[in-house]
Amino acid sequence: MIDSLYRWVDDRLNISGGTRKLLNKIFPDHWSFMLGEIALYSFVILVLTGIFLSLYFVPSQKDVIYHGSYLPLDGTHMSEAYASTINLSFSVRTGLLMRQMHHWAANIFVGSIVVHMCRIFFTGGFRRPREFNWIIGVNLLILAIFNGFLGYSLPDDLVSGTGIRIAFSILEALPIVGSYLATFLFGGNYPGTAIIPRFFILHVLILPAIIAALIGAHLGLLVKQKHTQFAGNGATERNVVGSPMWPIFIAKTNGFLFLVAGVTAALGAAVQINPIWQYGPYVPYHVSYAVQPDWYMGWLDGALRVMPSWEIVFPGHMIPNAFFPGILLPGITFTLLMMWPMLEARIRNDTLEHQILEEPRNNPWRTSIGAAVLSFYFVLFGASATDVLANYLQVSLNTVLITFRVLCILVPLIVGPVTYKICLELQHQHRPTKTKRHNIVMRSAEGGYSTIEVQARPGDERTILPPIPVDAMILVNDDGEPILADGGPVTVGAGAGPGAGSGRGNGSRGLFRIPRSYR
Amino acid sequence: MGLRLLRKILVPFAALVLAAAIATIAMGHTHSTTAASTPSMSPEAMQLASLASQTTKGQLAEGYQLFAAHCSFCHGTRADGTTGIAPNLQGLGAGTVDLWLSTGWMPLKTPSAQPENKVPSFSPSQIRAIAMWVASLRPGGVPLAPKLDLKSASLSTGFSLFTLNCAPCHTITGAGDALADGYHAPPLHGISAAQVWEAVRSGPQNMPIFGDRNITPSQLEDIVRYVTQKIEHPQNPGGLGLGGVGPVAEGFLGLFAGVGACLAAAYWVGDRTEREEEEDPHGHGTDHGPEGPETAPEGAHA
Repeated sequence: MIDSLYRWVDDRLNISGGTRKLLNKIFPDHWSFMLGEIALYSFVILVLTGIFLSLYFVPSQKDVIYHGSYLPLDGTHMSEAYASTINLSFSVRTGLLMRQMHHWAANIFVGSIVVHMCRIFFTGGFRRPREFNWIIGVNLLILAIFNGFLGYSLPDDLVSGTGIRIAFSILEALPIVGSYLATFLFGGNYPGTAIIPRFFILHVLILPAIIAALIGAHLGLLVKQKHTQFAGNGATERNVVGSPMWPIFIAKTNGFLFLVAGVTAALGAAVQINPIWQYGPYVPYHVSYAVQPDWYMGWLDGALRVMPSWEIVFPGHMIPNAFFPGILLPGITFTLLMMWPMLEARIRNDTLEHQILEEPRNNPWRTSIGAAVLSFYFVLFGASATDVLANYLQVSLNTVLITFRVLCILVPLIVGPVTYKICLELQHQHRPTKTKRHNIVMRSAEGGYSTIEVQARPGDERTILPPIPVDAMILVNDDGEPILADGGPVTVGAGAGPGAGSGRGNGSRGLFRIPRSYR
Repeated sequence: MGLRLLRKILVPFAALVLAAAIATIAMGHTHSTTAASTPSMSPEAMQLASLASQTTKGQLAEGYQLFAAHCSFCHGTRADGTTGIAPNLQGLGAGTVDLWLSTGWMPLKTPSAQPENKVPSFSPSQIRAIAMWVASLRPGGVPLAPKLDLKSASLSTGFSLFTLNCAPCHTITGAGDALADGYHAPPLHGISAAQVWEAVRSGPQNMPIFGDRNITPSQLEDIVRYVTQKIEHPQNPGGLGLGGVGPVAEGFLGLFAGVGACLAAAYWVGDRTEREEEEDPHGHGTDHGPEGPETAPEGAHA
C-alpha cells in the first residue's frame, strides 16, 4: 500500500533519484565537521521557542499599568512589551523556561557560528571553490549578531533600552546621513513609539527568513560542492571519505540535534538569563550602571570603551567619536572577513581548487594571522567588562581601561609570532638556524686567554634538500604543454592527489584543475 | 544669657557629667547656627531632648574611652580633625558614625582610596557608645536610624526610586560596580536596614547626600524595603543568579558551558563513529562508489 503510493508519487515527481543521491552523500567522520550543525540545530531551537514566545509577546510601546504577580512592579507604568514579557515569564506555563532556552540558544547560535568559522578559517576550508559559501557564512554571522541584538532589545527593559540608546547614537555618528538614517529607522527622534514594533517584525519575520534562506543556500552549496576533508585515511582531492547519509550520518546528526537541544534545555532550566523583572521597565531618564550587551556585541561595546575621546574634524565637519569604533571597526572587520578568500588567493598566488584541508600547523602564516586577529577581538570583548573587572579585581577603573588600550595592540603582536613558532614546532620543521660551534679557549704561557673558533665539521651544517619536482604535477595548459609557475618547478605535498587534465574553461593562466566530474 | 538660663534649669535634673556634656552640645548649638553648611536633619531642640533621653552617663564615658583609644590618633581627642590627617567628625551625627563603624570601614586597615567592608571592630553597644559620644560634641548631622515601618512600605515605589537614585552607581541588581579613580559603589548585599537608611541620609564618600526633602521619610522606607527584600534576596526563579552582573557572566557561561558542552557532544558523537569504523569497515564508504576513485566519476550518473 505504502509502496504503491510511493511509486505513484515518484512516477510523477521523480524524487527517487535525488533522494538516493542525498542518502548516499558522504559526510567526513572528523568531529570538527559537526560544528556547523551546532549552529543549525540551535537555529531550529530558536525558531521553535521563538514561535512559542511570539504567541504571548505583545510588540507595543503602549503605556500600561502593571497589576500582575510580580509585586515590586505592581502599579508601575510600563510598555505593553515589557508587561507582556513579565507575564510570559511568571504567568505562562513553561514561559520562563522557553524564554531562557531562547536566550541561551541565541548565545550558543552565535558562539557556534564563530567556532565553526574558526574551523573553516584555520583549515583553509574557504579556499577555491568554496568562496561563495564562506561569504554566505559571514553574512549569516552578521545577521545572527544583528538579530540577537534585536531580540535582546524587544522586552523593553532598563538594560536593553540603554543598548537601543547606544545603537541610536552609533547610527547618528555616521557622517552626513547619520541623523537622517537614525530618525528614519526609529520613526522620529529617540525613543519614539515605533521602535519595538519595528524591531519585532525584523526579529521574527524578516531576518529569520533571510537567515533560513541563507542556511538553505549554505547547505545546498555544501551538497553540491561536497565536503572538504582532512588528508589521510584514503582521502584525496577527488573523493570524500566518511559515512553515508543513510543510515550512519542520519543517526549521528539526529542524536546530535537532541544533544544540542539537551544542552540548551539544561541551561534554560538551571541558569537564569536576563532577569528583566530585576531590571524594571525602560524609562529614558533612568539608567543602571554595569550595562553590557550580550557577548556577541561585547567586542563592539569594548571598542566603544577603549576608543580614546578624539574628536576628529575633517574639512570643517566633526566626525563623531562613536563612528570609529561603532561603524568603521565592524565595517572593516566584516569586509576583510568576506574578502579573505580572495585576498589570500591573491597574496599566496594560489588559485588552485582545494578539497583537502590543511592542518593549521602546516600553514603557519594564515594560522598566526588568524590567531592574532582573533586575540584582538578577544581583548575587545574583555574590554566590554572593564567596570566588572575593576570591581572584581579591586583595581581602579582608569587603570583597567588604559591596560586594555595597551593590550588590544600588544596582545595580537605577541600572539601572532608565538603562534607562528608553535606551528613550526608542531610541524617538526625547524627552519635552518645558526648552529652553535665549539670554541676552544686557550691559555698562553703568559696567562692570557684567547679563543679559537673550530672549523665546521660534517653534521654541523643542516643540509636542506632541494624540493623534488614531480613530473605528474607540472601544470599544463589547454594544449597540454607544461607551464612553469612563477617560482620554477611546482611541487605538491603528499596530500594532493595526482591527476592532470585540461579542465573546463581554463583561463589564460593555464591552471591545473580537477574536472568536477572526477569528484 | 540664654546659656546660663538653660544651665540653671537643667542642672537640678541631671548628673554632673551629663550636664557637662549637654553644655558642650549647647555651645555647639550656638556655633552651628553660624555654620550653615552643617546638615541639620530635624529640629535641634528635639534632637537635644532625644539625645539626652537616649544617652546615659556610662555610655558617654565608654564612648569617650573607646574613641580616645581607637580613633583619636587620627581624628584628635575631641574628634575635631585637628591632627590634619583625618576629617572633623563634630556635627556629623550619630548615624554617620554608626554607619562607618558598623560596616567595618573604620578603623581603616590601610589608608586607601576607599575603605572596604569588613567585620566591625566593635560590638553594637560599643558602636552606639562611640556614636553617642561623637554626637554629644556638637548637634546636627544624621541621627541614628529610627525604627522603620517596613511592613506598610511600598515595594514598587521603592523599586522605582531605587532605579532612579541608586542604580546609576550600585547597578540595578545592587551588585555594585567600579567608579572612576579606584572608587567603587559597594555591593548592597548583606547590609542592614539601618545601614541603608544612614547611608542615604549621610552620603558616605562618593555617595550624594539625600536629604528628607529629596527623598521623604516614607519614600526612604520604601527604598529600604526594596533593598533589604529584593536586592539582598533577589528572586531568581530562573535558576542560578550568576551574581546579578548581567550579560558578562551570561556570555562567559554561554560560551564556555553552552558552546563548550556542544563541542564535547560533537567530539563524543564524532569519536563514536570513528571507533565504530574499526569494528565495522563496511559501514563506511567513499563518495566515489565501489569501483574506486579513478573509474567512477560522480558526475557520470548525475
